[in-house]
Amino acid sequence: MEEKQLTEKESLAIITEMVNKVKNHYHENGAYLILWGTVIATCGFVSAAQSYWHFSIGFDIWILTFIAVIPQVWLIIREARRKKVKTHMESAIDIIWIVYIITIIGILLYGNITYLTSPRILAENGIELLSRDTGTGEIKPFKLFAPSFSSIFLLAYAFPTLATGLITKYRPLITGAMITYAFFVISLFTGYANDMLLSGMAAVCSWLVPGLMLRKKYLAQLKQGNV
Amino acid sequence: MFKDLDPILHSQLRLAVISLLINVEEAEFTFLREKTNATAGNLSVQVQKLKEAEYITVEKRFRNNYPQTICRITPKGIKAFEDYVKALQDYVGKKV
Repeated sequence: MEEKQLTEKESLAIITEMVNKVKNHYHENGAYLILWGTVIATCGFVSAAQSYWHFSIGFDIWILTFIAVIPQVWLIIREARRKKVKTHMESAIDIIWIVYIITIIGILLYGNITYLTSPRILAENGIELLSRDTGTGEIKPFKLFAPSFSSIFLLAYAFPTLATGLITKYRPLITGAMITYAFFVISLFTGYANDMLLSGMAAVCSWLVPGLMLRKKYLAQLKQGNV
Repeated sequence: MFKDLDPILHSQLRLAVISLLINVEEAEFTFLREKTNATAGNLSVQVQKLKEAEYITVEKRFRNNYPQTICRITPKGIKAFEDYVKALQDYVGKKV
């Protein structure tokens, strides 16, 4: 670009050209979506299968979500090394996903703490919850649990997916989020095994499929030298 | 020709740099060079002028042992760009 006196048309043309260059620069390779889509889908389907066919793989499959943090960190470091620019849109999307992670941690704490806290609070007030087996008539202390816990996760999965889809105007993410919201409603009426199945299907629809589509698009752009 | 237009921005390369930076949070020098098709030397001079005018900040750091120059637009730069665009719009409006 050479230095010369500008006319008003040239000035406007430069501004428009640069704005378009930044606009066309957003290149999401879908790696995070593929990673988490695969992990959550695997955990959901394995949990559903164990519940349907009454077998155990010997450990809690959801441990995979903690293990997956390792490749996630590696992907973040790799991307940070490669990145030459950070757009406002990317910053906004990053913030949404950070808030999502905080939310997921919050939900995990809720699910693992409240069922212990509630009986204690009830006991302090002289109340004990009991359950009666309608078949045998046996009465036992009632073990509290967070009702339809998976439904809360489905609701959480849909939120960053829809927000990202709307910001980037990427239809597969919007569709995936809508399907996940539908699964959330269905999960309110279903039990654990089906909830797990819905969780797995939600991960496939909202993350894995859009992630693979983004990856395909990214590789095509890479081939054309547009990245 | 224009009157009352910010002389710092009324230059092809500086205007291109500011137009890029207004749309991003931060950009590497290599990104600006790639998008403006400018030579490193020329771009470096224009970036320095924008920095001296306090329209942008320039941060030099190392990543994987390679030097990296990160440019960001400042609030003063944003205001100058907005004023420049407004002046352009007024000019085009008057002409029509």
